[in-house]
Amino acid sequence: MKIAIVGASGFIGLRAVEWFTLGRRAEVRAVVRSFSSLAVLARQELDWRVADPLDARALAGAVEGCDAILHAAIGDPDQIEKMAASAVAACRAARIPRLVWLSSASVHGQAPASGTEESSPLRDDLPFPYARAKVRAEQTLAAARDVPSVRLRPGIVFGPRSSWIVDAARQVQTGTAWWIGGGRGVCHSIYVDNLLEAARLACTVPEAVGEAFLVGDAEEVRWRDFLLPIAEAVGGGEHSFRDLAPRDLPGHETLRGLPRWTSLGLVRAAALQVPDRVKRLVKSAAAAWPEAPPSPGAWSLPAPPAPRLTAELGELMQGTCKLPHAKAARLLGYRPIVPFAEGLRRSLAWLAWTR
Amino acid sequence: MSPVRVALIGCGAVARLFYAPALRALEVCGEVEVATVCDPAETARMALAAEFPGARAVATEEAAWPGAQLAIVASPPRWHREQCEAAFAAGVDVLCEKPLAGTAADAEAICAAARRAGRRLAAGHYKRFFPVHEWIRTAAGGASPLGALRRIEIAEGGKFRWPAASASFFQRSETPGGVLLDIGVHWLDLLRWWLGEPADFTYEDDALGGLEANAVIQARWPGGAEARLRLSRDAATENASRFTFEHGEVRLVVNDANHLQMQIAGLPGAWRAECEGGATNPQAFILQLRDVVAAVREGREPQVRGEDGAAALRWVEACYARRRRLPLPWLSVEEQETADAR
Repeated sequence: MKIAIVGASGFIGLRAVEWFTLGRRAEVRAVVRSFSSLAVLARQELDWRVADPLDARALAGAVEGCDAILHAAIGDPDQIEKMAASAVAACRAARIPRLVWLSSASVHGQAPASGTEESSPLRDDLPFPYARAKVRAEQTLAAARDVPSVRLRPGIVFGPRSSWIVDAARQVQTGTAWWIGGGRGVCHSIYVDNLLEAARLACTVPEAVGEAFLVGDAEEVRWRDFLLPIAEAVGGGEHSFRDLAPRDLPGHETLRGLPRWTSLGLVRAAALQVPDRVKRLVKSAAAAWPEAPPSPGAWSLPAPPAPRLTAELGELMQGTCKLPHAKAARLLGYRPIVPFAEGLRRSLAWLAWTR
Repeated sequence: MSPVRVALIGCGAVARLFYAPALRALEVCGEVEVATVCDPAETARMALAAEFPGARAVATEEAAWPGAQLAIVASPPRWHREQCEAAFAAGVDVLCEKPLAGTAADAEAICAAARRAGRRLAAGHYKRFFPVHEWIRTAAGGASPLGALRRIEIAEGGKFRWPAASASFFQRSETPGGVLLDIGVHWLDLLRWWLGEPADFTYEDDALGGLEANAVIQARWPGGAEARLRLSRDAATENASRFTFEHGEVRLVVNDANHLQMQIAGLPGAWRAECEGGATNPQAFILQLRDVVAAVREGREPQVRGEDGAAALRWVEACYARRRRLPLPWLSVEEQETADAR
């Protein structure tokens, strides 16, 4: 079997290339957006193509002759929707027998209610643009009945190179780490190798066509089970996290919830609107003052770094139940191949390796 | 003083992003005149020609030499030897972009050709012109109040963002090395410049039959100094170098040419210092070009000679020759076995 991995230079794509080739599970064709994206993939002598996943014709040319596409490309919400349409058109044009689309458990909302499963109705009026885009992308795939596609809905995908690992470590090191309610919310984790095992099955199992599957780790994982070992790996611990309550979170992307640099950026942008003549007058007035007193803003001590609070992550951290992967087990024969603790160990081994 | 006439050979990303603005800066000063831009790819050479309206745009080197005094060779490394030798044969001096050649043997052949022809050959190791790197060289001499240099820790890299115009950066048929050859060669040149030849070293990278994206060198010098160099095109690194002396520590940020952070043993706090009037990264690039132009005009050797570039490349090759695979601790046992077999 030859799998075209679209978005092969991203976190999931890079691991997918390793997992399929070094694990001798399938032949791979890496499809990337630009030559620069070959930098890490070039460690192996690989079959590769450069194609924009938004360009259906280019994508069709890049995947031609493959038995399946694993679509792992990322983008902003607008791109996510367009990439789905482009992938469908490319599969149709190149007659690809199987399209495995990496969707997200976010299509059910950030903190799905108990009893949520694949057949739960999807709403495209979810509050977050990323989740809405994933829903619409799935709708595009489901509507294209002539294209044999499978939709996988993972939650928090982690592993080597994952931003979940890198960002959590950085937040601990910069004193900006936080969690909600002691990190006791359910984390819908899936180690990247488990997702790839589901993708492998989705590429081959006939009954998978046209279906969507929630996939996750075997264990019920709490956010503290995930975040605390990362903190400890970089010299932190429980004390590294600001323990917040849901009421501390911003409604949605309000100014209060944005990082400090963003609001500074707004101030700078506003300053750019001030005419140069006025700036010069202010500057010359300041320069003319014989002994200028400290400005009011100088009477402060350096503030500790502010955590980046987003409603999206806040809701994710308030999960109350583990999403089931019973359907994937039944139809695909999916079993998580790496235990959560081992996945985290490998991820942290990677983190240490980058130092 | 008439400007030195320059032929720019190779109009890819490094020519566009580094040499073109540096040449413009020296044109303004009347020190150079770009006579020719040369690249077999018409789009690339016409884009460069548009920046230098007085220059001829040509597709082959033979057409580039007439009237040129200095060739800047900025093509992919596998072409450097052929182009440098042709320049020398035409009586033209050369500034050759790093790495000096695709192989150390080719680099030595280029140096020999320059000597035979009586031409000047400079290697594009412009980071020697960073004020902070000159400062380290002086301090590493051991006569400063900081005392002897004990250890150097360097980490450079992150996700690869160079706007590669082709796949040549990533194909063994086009280039013999990955991150070590690309950004590591600068550090190996600097380490030699600061400390001389190492007594011993080890080298590990993550190539699996292709070109490495991560590499680690550990080296030791006869005087006892040690260094660890971590390079990546893959994962974010600290992008800093740390120098531990007998009586203090100095930290530099990669590509910040004239700031350093210093901590002196027995004194509180870490202090940030700026070299007054010191060159920035782009200015250091211009300064090397200015030095080479002056060398051409004055008939002297440039500060960074071809032999320096060849020596750095010999070290790169010695690394590849004694390569061990970096452990990849996230691979499964089966994957490790496949990786070991590559």
